[in-house]
Amino acid sequence: MAALPLAASAGEALVLGLTTGPVCLASCGPVVLPWMLVQPKGIGPHSRQLLLFLAARLAGYMVFAAAAWLVGAAIPRAWSGRSWAYGGIELLLAIALLVYAAGWPRPRRALSEPSPRLVRIGEAPRPRPSGAVALGFLTGINLCPPFLVAGVRAAQLAHLSGALFFFLCFFAGTAIWFLPFLSLGFLQRTPAVVTVARMVAVLLACWYGFSGASLLIERIING
Amino acid sequence: MASPSSAPARPPAFRSIGRSILLTLPIALWSLLMFTPSFRSGGRALSIGAVLVIVFMTSLFFLMMRTGETYRWRRIFFVALGFLFPVGFIASLIAERGTMSIPISRMVSGDTPFCFMVTPALILPAAFARTIVFPGSILPTASNPHSIAVMIGLWFAFTLVLGKAWCSYACFFGGMDEGFAAFGKRRRLHRFVTKYGSILRLIPWAILLCVVLLSAALFEPFYCMWLCPFKTVTEFPAVRDLETALQFGVFVTLFVGLVVVLPYLTKKRTQCGFFCPFGAFQSLFNKINLFDIRFDREKCFDCGLCQTSCPTVALSKESVREGKTLLNCMKCGACVDACKKDAAVWHLKGTPVAVKPERARLLFLYGAWALATMFGGSILANSIATMVHWLPLK
Amino acid sequence: MRRRILSILAYTGAALMLVVAASVPFVLMGVFSKAVADAGLHIDAAYSGGTVARIIDRGGYKIVVYQPVEPRLLERIEPFVQVVFEPVDALPARVSEEIDLDGDGQPDVRVSFSLPADPNAPLRGDVTALNGKYISLTNVTGESFSRMVVRAGKQIVVRVPLNRGSVNR
Repeated sequence: MAALPLAASAGEALVLGLTTGPVCLASCGPVVLPWMLVQPKGIGPHSRQLLLFLAARLAGYMVFAAAAWLVGAAIPRAWSGRSWAYGGIELLLAIALLVYAAGWPRPRRALSEPSPRLVRIGEAPRPRPSGAVALGFLTGINLCPPFLVAGVRAAQLAHLSGALFFFLCFFAGTAIWFLPFLSLGFLQRTPAVVTVARMVAVLLACWYGFSGASLLIERIING
Repeated sequence: MASPSSAPARPPAFRSIGRSILLTLPIALWSLLMFTPSFRSGGRALSIGAVLVIVFMTSLFFLMMRTGETYRWRRIFFVALGFLFPVGFIASLIAERGTMSIPISRMVSGDTPFCFMVTPALILPAAFARTIVFPGSILPTASNPHSIAVMIGLWFAFTLVLGKAWCSYACFFGGMDEGFAAFGKRRRLHRFVTKYGSILRLIPWAILLCVVLLSAALFEPFYCMWLCPFKTVTEFPAVRDLETALQFGVFVTLFVGLVVVLPYLTKKRTQCGFFCPFGAFQSLFNKINLFDIRFDREKCFDCGLCQTSCPTVALSKESVREGKTLLNCMKCGACVDACKKDAAVWHLKGTPVAVKPERARLLFLYGAWALATMFGGSILANSIATMVHWLPLK
Repeated sequence: MRRRILSILAYTGAALMLVVAASVPFVLMGVFSKAVADAGLHIDAAYSGGTVARIIDRGGYKIVVYQPVEPRLLERIEPFVQVVFEPVDALPARVSEEIDLDGDGQPDVRVSFSLPADPNAPLRGDVTALNGKYISLTNVTGESFSRMVVRAGKQIVVRVPLNRGSVNR
């Protein structure tokens, strides 16, 4: 396999990510939006959650990059197992959205919760990151067409580190499209907004669940 | 809380007959103006339809003026519109192609009539890709006069004047919902709606957001393809595979559940208030509309009759205490007519509350009824003409 | 004073709304319709078939070949090429044409169909792919937006799916 010069492959990956970012946004945006609407108001907490989400997404990208390189250039776009993977991931996304909409994970509580009228000594326990890792990773391994194109290109590189670097640059190009989600930090988090966001998560879970299940059923029937 | 039964009832007549006729005159003239072309070139059946509609709309407006009530008379028009629209529409489909289903050939030739309910789903693809994700035609053609440009133009013009009152004066689908809610007297699920109304009225917003996101992602009119209950009584994609069969099943289930059964059980417009994403979208225009309904806190004694009477749960205890309705108010007038203390009043934004509310009501009603006559009235006339064609008249 | 000004503005606005309402059927509807029509929007290619690539003149009738249509974002269609035969009245009873879809001078598909005598009867046809770029269709009518041989008004619309080595999604 021909080794691409590092700078050339970085440039190609970045451009690929930038140009195919809208597809990533279309694929992952409906998942991210309701989840972000439930996060606390404010740019600070919002940025932290988004960074966590993107980091988990990057982890997904790196896992795929490694897998692509190890398998070699044997993941053509007509890979017959792609439907299985795609259907399975969509089902997992649906479950993640449903679990999240139901309000899990909840912050840890002490066995005996002190009365709010008492003075608290020390810092309040930090809320756990809510779903960022699960949603980020699942969207990160979502096999959309640009992802597969990047996988094929990365598999052609001479070293595993090159494949990982290619996907890092590809990720950077797509991640730029997610920055506008930070603006949701300004949106007032009234109970109505949070309720609507949870409802949206449930509805989208229904769609992803149906979409994933129909893919898998179609594969089972057609072989 | 004072007992509502101790409050004085509204007097049986509000205005003299003479004044009522005078106030109705502009509407009568407007109706004649709107339907004069039908007399000239429409044929006998359409002329009969036009005459009936002119008398119908003018009489209802007269009764609004005479009794001082709005909701009861508006509802008669609206329910008639809801039940007669499918008559004319389905008849035209059967006459043209022999079936209610839309074959794929008509979709690719741009002959699918445009429905305003898909408007929110079009916004993102149109804004970012200059693409309309609907199988219609942008300009009117001989085979498709209900083109996208015409229908969006009509909808936008109406919305400028009516805001969310579109859902009370123009949307024929809402008339079906309201019609089934009008049957029977007893509210069987009243407690459920009262308890969960604050959550139920958020569902349309969630559906709107989903429809907008998925339409943009999938580049298809998601609501039309999967969620529209009214496909059952208008037209639907021809069943050609498992997916289209499933879609049809969803349409029928939603129609029977949300438009027939639940309105009957709750006496609320459940499809409109608890499902319709287009209604949520229209609510945004209430922000810029000049008319609304307010509550005079000096007269109100929190009996809750207004909340009980609202067909879409657009009132809460908190909002009434603040003297206003929620954003999803359709300006149907039910709460105003139900209030025994005249605390609920029509209001023109920028003017003091409860100071000359009848003036605000008149200003609103003239615009709303004029548009209702133009749009809904023409649909009624066409449907009546269709039925006249069926009659064995010589 | 402020209240008075607000009231005047409010009533002026309300009066304007009446004027707007009265002008809807005569002026406004046309203005807004024209604005939408002039906005430079187009119908999604999955429905419209895309843009015309070339027209092949066959004397009495024309064969219009369109540019390939690729699914956008997560659009649930296969890539396809649309071919239109028009006008229907000028077509022979049996059509079997080899058509160059990509403009390289070589025929890519053979489209065959027989026109039923009754214009309302369903039309069925075959598309035989002459190279690996396209997918053959056998005895199809309107299967999907990417696979069809249908009569649409005065045209016969054929959509040939592209074999790009990708499944639906």
